[in-house]
Amino acid sequence: MRFVHVVAFSAAMAAASSMLMPYGTQAADAPAFTIKAEGGHFSPSQLEVAANRPFKVLVISAEKTPIEFESFELRRERVVKPGETITVNMPALSPGTYKFFDDFHRDTPEGAIVVK
Amino acid sequence: MAIVAIQFIPVQRSNPPIPGDLVAPAPVKNTLRAACYDCHSNRTRWPWYGALAPASWLVVHEVSEGRRRLNFSDWISYTADPATASHKLEEIAEFVSSGKMAPWYYTILHPEARLSPAQRRMIASWARREAGRIAN
Repeated sequence: MRFVHVVAFSAAMAAASSMLMPYGTQAADAPAFTIKAEGGHFSPSQLEVAANRPFKVLVISAEKTPIEFESFELRRERVVKPGETITVNMPALSPGTYKFFDDFHRDTPEGAIVVK
Repeated sequence: MAIVAIQFIPVQRSNPPIPGDLVAPAPVKNTLRAACYDCHSNRTRWPWYGALAPASWLVVHEVSEGRRRLNFSDWISYTADPATASHKLEEIAEFVSSGKMAPWYYTILHPEARLSPAQRRMIASWARREAGRIAN
């Protein structure tokens, strides 16, 4: 009986700790996708990712001036200096299309993360 | 006649659920809530003139744009990417200390959004301190 309690307690603690784990730790094994900003374009301009699973986006800037990788829907906003690579943590998302853009250069065509 | 007719064009004035509000010291939070939350949160106190077109169109547009750019009610989403949260805080410090926020035209009808120099310093100081804490 005591063994059952120990197992149940351990399982409860494991479940609780996974719920309390910071997002960044949970995302440690998250798949990563790369977007490059170069010549006034994002490449690729569209990413396809799996639904309901956190992921990361590596944003590389080959531009000559800083860019601002931003998405209203995803609530992300990061400055990327020339030659820099940043990692943007993304949450598990529902299926849909989530746009991103360069807020410092609004003439740069928007990109999108398509979640399926 | 046209003024009456446009009243029947529906506008979306809603206060969606709050996923996770900003956590800040009470003086900072109270000041932000009084001055900024009407446009930058899901706790909008919709003004009476916001029910009358064409003013309602402008109000809804301003709130929608404000929520898209910065939404204190969904602060939890920013903190999931700490560098984004830090960047947002730096922007808050910059916009508040420079006087860009709240916009002058907004404060004409909303005197509660007029921040004193001391309030601006308090918010900017807190935001910069918090941005540094998150970044490190």
